[in-house]
Amino acid sequence: MDAASLKRAAYAAVMAVGGLLWLAAILSMALTAQNSDQFSRLHPWILMINIAGLVVLIGLLATKLAQLVRDWRGHVIGSRLKARMVWIFGILATLPILLVYFFAVQFLSRGIDSWFNVEIRRSLDDALLLSRAALEVRMREHLAATEVMADEVAAKGGPMPGLLESLRRQGGALEITVATESGAIIAASKGLSSEVVPEGVPDEVLLQVRGARPFVSLEPQPGGGYLVRTGVSLGPVMPGQDRLVLQAIYPVAERLGALADTVQAAYKQFGEKDYLRKPLKASFILTLTVVLLLSLLAAWYGAIFTAQRLVQPIQDLVKGTRAVAQGDLDTRLPLTSHDEMGFLVHSFNDMTKRLRRAREDQRRAQHDAETERAKLAIVLARLSTGVISLEADRRVRTANRAATMILGEDLEARVGASFEGIGAEGSLARHFSDACRIRFASGEPEWREQFVLQAGTGRRILMCACTPLPLEGDTLGGYVLVFDDITTMLRAQREAAWGEVARRLAHEIKNPLTPIRLSAERLRHKLLPSLTEEKDAQMLARATETIVQQVEAMKEMVNAFSEYARAPRLEMSAVELNKVVMEVTDLYRAQDARPLVRLSVDLDPALGTVEADAGRLRQLLHNLLTNAVEALENRPRGEVEVKTRLAQRGGDQVAEIIVADNGPGFQPELLGQVFDPYVTTKAKGTGLGLAIVRKIVEEHGGHIEADNRAEGGAQVRIDLPVTETRAAGARGDVRQFEPRRERA
Amino acid sequence: MAQAASQLVIRSAEVQLAGDVYELEAKLDLRLPEEALKAIDGGLTARLTYQIDVSRVRRYMLNAGVASLEQRYELSYHALSQRYLVRNLNSGEQQDFGTLQAAIDRVCELRGLPILDTTLVVPGRAYEGRIRAVLDMSTLPEALGWLLFWTDEWSATSSWYTWTLRR
Repeated sequence: MDAASLKRAAYAAVMAVGGLLWLAAILSMALTAQNSDQFSRLHPWILMINIAGLVVLIGLLATKLAQLVRDWRGHVIGSRLKARMVWIFGILATLPILLVYFFAVQFLSRGIDSWFNVEIRRSLDDALLLSRAALEVRMREHLAATEVMADEVAAKGGPMPGLLESLRRQGGALEITVATESGAIIAASKGLSSEVVPEGVPDEVLLQVRGARPFVSLEPQPGGGYLVRTGVSLGPVMPGQDRLVLQAIYPVAERLGALADTVQAAYKQFGEKDYLRKPLKASFILTLTVVLLLSLLAAWYGAIFTAQRLVQPIQDLVKGTRAVAQGDLDTRLPLTSHDEMGFLVHSFNDMTKRLRRAREDQRRAQHDAETERAKLAIVLARLSTGVISLEADRRVRTANRAATMILGEDLEARVGASFEGIGAEGSLARHFSDACRIRFASGEPEWREQFVLQAGTGRRILMCACTPLPLEGDTLGGYVLVFDDITTMLRAQREAAWGEVARRLAHEIKNPLTPIRLSAERLRHKLLPSLTEEKDAQMLARATETIVQQVEAMKEMVNAFSEYARAPRLEMSAVELNKVVMEVTDLYRAQDARPLVRLSVDLDPALGTVEADAGRLRQLLHNLLTNAVEALENRPRGEVEVKTRLAQRGGDQVAEIIVADNGPGFQPELLGQVFDPYVTTKAKGTGLGLAIVRKIVEEHGGHIEADNRAEGGAQVRIDLPVTETRAAGARGDVRQFEPRRERA
Repeated sequence: MAQAASQLVIRSAEVQLAGDVYELEAKLDLRLPEEALKAIDGGLTARLTYQIDVSRVRRYMLNAGVASLEQRYELSYHALSQRYLVRNLNSGEQQDFGTLQAAIDRVCELRGLPILDTTLVVPGRAYEGRIRAVLDMSTLPEALGWLLFWTDEWSATSSWYTWTLRR
């Protein structure tokens, strides 16, 4: 059994015991008032118990009412309804109780008064007077008889022997006594039925007789009945003697005495009860009042208790509803009854249960959706394809990392901003958004297009597809832009094609070149001595010379093709880049052929080693320097700058090599294609120099850019990856690598 | 309005040896309020009880009881004869008086009341006697007894009056 059940059971037990005690006390009060002998002795205790009960009830009621007032002032839920119910129940109980009380008090008061009716009192007084009158007649007769006896005793000269006896018998007296005025008995006569010793003359008889007044009185007897005592003065019997007193006692007839006793008893009883009339009324009314107050207070307490029982489920419901409104769906209301209120509570509990289940389902679905979204975000983040989702008004909703990398603009920081106008003027992102804007303006919701965009970093080719998102209600859900930078892929395709061409040329052309040259030299060797004609000999010599020269030229060209198409194994090792640069530039400084070109070298001492094929690096530098020097031909003050720097690119350290000249620079229209094979502005050359440079850079996982300098001239910048650990650990090692393949 | 209370004071009490019996002479001063006197005239009965104890004095223990008795009187008004009756409830003897004061005087005086036989008294030992009077105006029928809780304003008890006895 839990603590709450135990408390409820204890409370019920206390209430039951209290109720039984209260009933017992009230019944005892009633029995007391009904003149029950047994209870009359316990009356004070019963009254005390009732008053104690009254005090307890007042205390309980005061506590409950104070609580109700506090709840009312504190706007506690249900307090107003409870107060109203208490008021109604209380009034409904009070009115009939007060009515009954009023009529009971009236009835009681009048009933008790009627017991002591004036008529009854008067009748009793009259009966008493009548009885007394009847007895007084006898008393006067007896007094008269006593006076006759006194005269006779006086006439005889005193109480002679036998005289008193004869007088007593004649007068029907019980006792005759002659005594002095001081009470000394001189003579007496007493009947046989009474005691032998004469009773004596009481002081009050002597006192009255001394005053010359006869005495007569009616004396009630202990066992019932009456005696009449008479006393008269005898006067001095003999001269010089004291005056004597004659006392005679007469019986009252038994019948008369019995009747008189009855009247006396009734009178006395009435007197006693009349005396008790006021306290009787007061006590009855007090008893009634105590019972009324007990009933009234119990009724009010019951009203509060009942109201509490009725309001409690409503309070629970309101609290539960508020808890549910605040999101607490674990609220369970106690089921206290099986009536309509119980049904309501049950329905509420059922509702919260269903709501909780629905919320759990929703949370699960939301969790699943979040998980899917997270997975999708991971997939999108790992995608090499740029994905941008736009709102219907073309504000950026989401963008993946690839989009940022492709466009070179932090799109995740632009979420919520308009997609149009992103990026700086002339940037790839701005060109891309402009191109998309044009497509959006066409009104076509779904489209796919390859954009060729010219940005500061060169010509970029982006394949972009736009798909409208599903409708959200009646409005468009937005767009998804999926795009990829296919510049490298296209270039790789082109390079692959060029490589294939080079291989075929090398195979198809280089092979016949040697027989052609050998044949030409043989012809010259065989025929030249035999020709007699100077003219013919010169022609032969010139022709064969031309053939040999052209064959050599073609051989060089084919070798260049072979070189480009070749994909040799890289001999990777830790290379001190500055040292390689110095070695190569020293070669160019030593050349006196081009004294007009000034070569300046600026090396960053912080630059360490890079993981590279030293031979390929030398070729790369040779090609760049050759290109620069050739561009400065016929320039009066040509300058070539070679710089190395340790730089940061996207959080990674790179070794930067910059080769710049103050020549004519790249033609702007060819700027995006300078690294393509056979793109050249020079009169001679294969057009493969820069193409081979880029190939070497890409084999090393680096990046190359070509641009024109603002002060004039061309500049090629190369970034090669640097890692300290690799550089330190790989120092002096030589390892073989396959050429790096750039992402396509 | 609160009613005045009765006043009971034992004025004197002394023991005299009469033959082989110690007899008590005592006087009580009893003053009843006017309402009580009227109530007696109206039919109420007053009961006066003298409670008398005699005990042997012991130095280190409680006194040992030797004798204990009660003398009870009843005083009422007889309306028919217009006389006041005093009844000795111990003996059944009844006396009547023409005035209430004469009746009260009668019950306020104890004369020659035998309380102790000399055989019960050890020579040389000290004895202590005490007396008090209890007035009870509640001689109502039992059925109405519970009402006395509300009405019994005149009943009273006097203080103990003590005396010493040495043979």
